[in-house]
Formats: sequence, C-alpha cells, structure tokens
Amino acid sequence: MRSAHHARDGDRRSRFEEIYAANCTPILGYALRRTSNGDDAADVVAETFLTAWRRLDDVPPGDAARLWLYGVARRVLANHHRGERRKSELSDRLSHDLALVHRDPEYTGQLGVAAAAFRCLSEADRELLALVGWEGLGHAEIAAVLGCSRNAVRIRLHRARAKFAAAVAQLDAESFVPDPIGDRT
Amino acid sequence: MNDLSSIAQLAATSDEQAARLLADSTHADLIARITATRYHASERSGSAEVPSATRPLTRRRLTIGLPAAAAVVAAALVISSSGQPGHHLGPTGVRPTKAELLSFTRHGRYIDVIVRNPLADAKKYNAEFKAHGLHITLSLVPASPSLVGTLVYFDGGSAIHPITAVGKCWTGGGGSKCPVGVRVPIGYRGTAALVFGRAARSGERYETTVSATMPGEVLHGLRIAGRRVARVLAMLRKRQVTVAEYNYQAPKRGGVLAHRVPLNWFVYDADPWAPGQVVLFVGKTRHERLYPPSTKQPSPKASRAPGL
Repeated sequence: MRSAHHARDGDRRSRFEEIYAANCTPILGYALRRTSNGDDAADVVAETFLTAWRRLDDVPPGDAARLWLYGVARRVLANHHRGERRKSELSDRLSHDLALVHRDPEYTGQLGVAAAAFRCLSEADRELLALVGWEGLGHAEIAAVLGCSRNAVRIRLHRARAKFAAAVAQLDAESFVPDPIGDRT
Repeated sequence: MNDLSSIAQLAATSDEQAARLLADSTHADLIARITATRYHASERSGSAEVPSATRPLTRRRLTIGLPAAAAVVAAALVISSSGQPGHHLGPTGVRPTKAELLSFTRHGRYIDVIVRNPLADAKKYNAEFKAHGLHITLSLVPASPSLVGTLVYFDGGSAIHPITAVGKCWTGGGGSKCPVGVRVPIGYRGTAALVFGRAARSGERYETTVSATMPGEVLHGLRIAGRRVARVLAMLRKRQVTVAEYNYQAPKRGGVLAHRVPLNWFVYDADPWAPGQVVLFVGKTRHERLYPPSTKQPSPKASRAPGL
C-alpha cells in the first residue's frame, strides 16, 4: 500500500510540474497585468498553483488547463480585492524576483483616454475586455474561464464594449456628432 | 483609437516580459514548496472555488462554517417572477411565508431557496444567506423583459449549478431553456455572487440583455437584419421604440458608437437599451463585416506600455 501511495504521489508531482511549466508564464502575466506591485502578483501566482496542486484531478488536460488556471487566478484576485489577502511564505521568492516590477504607466493622448475609460468600467466588464485584449481569448475560451455559456459571453462582451465606447466618447467629446435621434440623458 | 485594440495596449506587462522576470531557481522553489503541502481527497470535491489558497498551510477551513449535518446538503435557489405571472416557482414550488425574502426549505438532499421579491433590498438577501452560513451575495440588475427573473450572472464554483427552466426566457441562441436559479452545496464555504435580472424602471438602462428581436423583447417578430436604417426606423416608430445609440464597426477602431448614421446604411441587429429604447448595430454593407481586434491571436499582445 505504502509503495502504491508513493507511486501515486510521484505521478501527482509529475503532472503538477507539467502543468506548472506549461502555464507559469501566462498566469504570471495575467497576475502582473492586474496588480500594481510584484508582491500581489507573486501571491496570486502562488495561490493559483497551490489550488491546482490541491485540486489536481479537477485540472483539465492540455490547453484547457490554462483556462482553468485563469479562472482560479481570477477568483484569487477577487479575494485579494475584497481584502482577504493573506501573505503566504510560498511566494517569498517570487516576491523577491518581482520586487523591481513597479508599474506606474502613464498614458497620454488617445491611450490616456482609453485608460481612463477602462478605469470607469465595472470590475466584471474590465475583466471581460481584458481577457480578450490582454490574454487574447475568444468567446469559447472566456466562457471556460468564467464558467458561463458562449452566448452569455457574447452578450456581456457586447455590453462591456458598448460601455467602454460610451466612456471613451464621454471623455473625448470631440469625437461625437450632435444627436438628432437618441434620447441621451 | 478605440475599443479592444486600445485596451490591448493598456496591458502593463506582456507574457513575453513576464517570462523573463523569474529565475529558474524561483520556479523550482515554488514547485517544491507547493508540492510539500498536504493535499486531501476532500479538497477535490468538484468545487471551483479557490479552496484554502489563502490559508495555504492549514486545514482550518474544513471546520469553519459547516452546518450541523456534515452531509452534502445543497441549496437550490430559485427566484420567483413577480413580474411575470404564471411562472413556476421552480422545481418544488415551495411557498415561503410572507415575511421572508428568501425561503430555505430542506428538500431531500437539497434546500430550496426561493426569492420572493426580486425588487427587495439586496442587503436583506445577503443577510439571510449569511444567517444560513452561506457566503453568497445576491444582487439585482435591470434586465430586458425576457431576462427578468432569471439568473444573468453567476460567479462561484463548479459546485454550484444553475437550475434551468424551459419557456421562462429566450436566450440569444434561440433556446428557451434558461437559468432561473442555482443549486448550492451547503458545505460550500467559498464565496459566490448571483445576479438576477429585474424589471427596469422607466428610463433605466438595462444591464443585461438579449437581442431585441427575441421573444419577449420589444422588437420580437420584426425582421430587421439586412434592412436599411430608414426602413427599420419606420418599423421602430410603429412600436414607439427609439434608438439610443448606433453601433458600427470601423477598421482599426472596432465598435464605434454614434448618434447619427446615414439612413441608407444597413441594420444587423438590435439590442435593448432601456424600456422603449434600443441600440442598432449598423454598417455600410448589407452583411455585417467585422473588424476583429488585432488582439485575438493565440498569443497575447506584447505591451507597448512603459513601466517594466
């Protein structure tokens, strides 16, 4: 029995290492794009892969693993945003490597308008747009990350794009023509 | 510059940049630390919540928030549809007492939770969930008519399953099988957020919609796709529907909103905006031409933003 357990543990570890190797970069990128400092990004990465380790049997094979991990990372981030962040020693080394990552990008011109408009959106809308624009995901992939139907993604993405466009327009009034029809309020 | 292409440029760090940040030894260290932690079959119970990730080295969660019975008990949450008479309340039809906003009724292995008043203060629902040991938040958003009373957004784990009802609404895909509630394992100690559609007040913008031509929506029965804007405006006028915005695709700009477009352009679709108002999707050509954002590539876009 004991040796069987050990064999299983070895298999588990190998599978986890494969998943980690294939996905550590996209998950780190995902975390860095959504956090303002290296510490937070390190925590998100560590917690996401810890979850994968603990729920290894739930991690889908192949490329779908990346989407599953995005989904986990998203919930880890949401917990962080709710102030449930707990520093874990798991991520000490990561934090150290990422210590110099300091992002305070300043956008000017139209990109500045886009950045401001993006910040106006709800977190859910931002995430939806970011999964397309930052992770390069399509509708089906986003549906897998968010755990909803493709159709729901299509509808929500359309709404988010409309809200973003409206926010850009509001911030960039010159791009608008006077409105003869709508009852814009 | 507009839409998704500009959002892509807001990415502070590309994956390529991220790949260069960590030393190999750091990866090895993390793998070693993670695989040194214990794992248990009970933590693989199908829940997509983030389990004890925030308390990585303890197992305390397993004893937190468990109801007296440790058995798997699920809660089925079904919203009642006060705005739409004649609906089933859900699979069981349990009727709560009047004083309650939510009724938690044990039903075999499940608890049926019924929302009585979709316009009640969300805080009250949440207090009731909390009282039952469930970290579930429920909120309501103005929805276009066919989505009133349905679950329009759900953020939780795979342990929580939507309950569907046939004929309650019509999906953008043309089906009539829609989520009207969710089934929640009581042992679920993660967080979940449920958003239901409620009727919009006059002048209030919808936050969730299906196509305006779907059954139950303001333009149902009208064939607008492929017709010219002038013609569609005449059809809308008969139904006393106005256009809040036009949305058209522009090369390199993606979706653009406008208040005025040439009347000889073509309509592709309409989306409910607010009661009596729609957004028209239009373009110069009879058939919609999409300008997919340049970001829809297998690999993420490199960032052009400074900062790393």
